[in-house]
Amino acid sequence: MLLLSYLLLSGVTTGALYALVALGIVVVNKATGVINFAHGELFMFSGFVAWSLHVGAGLAYPIALPLAVAAGFALGVATDRIAFRPLMKADVISLVLATVGIAFVLRGVARVIWGGKADYLAFPPITSPEPVMLGEIMVIPQQLAVLGGAIVVMLIFAAFFRLTRAGKMMQATADNAKAATLVGIRTERIYTLSFGTGAAIAAAAAVLMAPLTLLYPDMGFAFFIKGFAAAVLGGLTSLPGAVLGGLTIGVIEALAGGYIHSSFIEVSAFVVIMIVLIVRPTGLLGVSRVRRV
Amino acid sequence: MLAIRHLKVAYGITEVLRDVSFEVPQGRIVALLGGNGSGKTTVLNTLTGLVKPVSGSITFEGKECAGLAPDAIVRAGICQVPQGREVWPGMTVHDNLELGAATRRDWPGIRSDLAEIYAMFPKLADRKKRYAGSLSGGEQQMVAIGRALMARPRCLLMDEPSAGLAPAIVGDMVDTILALNRRGLTILLVEQNIGVAAAVAEFAHILQGGEIAFSGPAAGLVDNPAVLRSYLGR
Repeated sequence: MLLLSYLLLSGVTTGALYALVALGIVVVNKATGVINFAHGELFMFSGFVAWSLHVGAGLAYPIALPLAVAAGFALGVATDRIAFRPLMKADVISLVLATVGIAFVLRGVARVIWGGKADYLAFPPITSPEPVMLGEIMVIPQQLAVLGGAIVVMLIFAAFFRLTRAGKMMQATADNAKAATLVGIRTERIYTLSFGTGAAIAAAAAVLMAPLTLLYPDMGFAFFIKGFAAAVLGGLTSLPGAVLGGLTIGVIEALAGGYIHSSFIEVSAFVVIMIVLIVRPTGLLGVSRVRRV
Repeated sequence: MLAIRHLKVAYGITEVLRDVSFEVPQGRIVALLGGNGSGKTTVLNTLTGLVKPVSGSITFEGKECAGLAPDAIVRAGICQVPQGREVWPGMTVHDNLELGAATRRDWPGIRSDLAEIYAMFPKLADRKKRYAGSLSGGEQQMVAIGRALMARPRCLLMDEPSAGLAPAIVGDMVDTILALNRRGLTILLVEQNIGVAAAVAEFAHILQGGEIAFSGPAAGLVDNPAVLRSYLGR
């Protein structure tokens, strides 16, 4: 019971972070049809920006977080301007390769700025790292803080997407870009907004995660793969699917690591994904694009 | 008045429109007919700014519109109801309509226009919260028309509004088009269905091979076997 509760909580916490990474991937993919391969690096870079603001410049964590999110948004916008907008008429392969290029540039720049200190930077914990016993359940305050933060970020994003005009325009552009253009929505702006929003969510994930682990310039790809897997599991264009996929992968990893062997952490999620995709090729919440005439 | 003069459009080296000129007088319904590949869709795409013309002019209410961006054209007062409805299937009817006013910021005006559209299409008022993709073809057509009206256009471009509708509903569509026109909207109707065009339009132009091949009163078209045979291949 103790082990199970511990594994579930840490699984859900990691899963919530995967879910945030996946949300960013889905937001960009829904709007533009492109998988942003620089997404992991946007996540990593924003984490380092938060480190510089919090540890380097001594700003309080609650101030460093929104600033890093803003930096993430700006990086996302830059990705759109450099790797997407000039290539909009090119084929998807060129677009994807351009995002891979951005990924390498960001990684290189991160090494130049934050490398050299054995390449691993520690982020101070935001709460006490000591576990607390709640009856039979062991709770680590740090994890609860991260989980709570992730839920808040998801709620803010959901409200933005469902309630604001900009959010609805993003949804409309994703649903049918031509119809969006015909009512006068400037879709190229919506693409920029999507890249920015996706990167901002990734930045929030990075800042939430940073106190749990170390920052290093190559961390982006590992998180990208997990987030991508979560997005695929959820159907690649479904926002609730991305959250569900992220949580599923986090929990499976934790359980496989705890009950089988720690070497199963990395592979277990992918085994499950393969099984899911064989049974349901559109993902858990994906829909095959059928339109009623 | 919408005036198209000497419009020439090419995709790469392929000339799609050679020299197209016609007018849609203020407050009238004009039909543009033609078979597949005649260039009808290109005329519409040029009017809405999706395609930039090589040469020629498009003036609306005296303002030059050729080559403007799509949102600028919507702001100038021209809005299209696309072929096949093209509603946003994953969004509610209400959100679909509301986003039709994407170019506007006069919130009280938007609210009163929404109420007016629900009054015009009571069926949509009943289905406000439903996903547009779950509606029938006829209802989706109402959403598409309502959405275009939310931009407060003075000229409506309608691309094959009768296509894909059950024959029983086509009559309703004709009534809707006439009702919109009575409210003062200038309408350019692009159709393959000559019956619909003849029922609503005063004047018709037939496009063939990127040129206007015939112009005349729409009422005469159905009885003109030469027109039907040579230009529409029937």
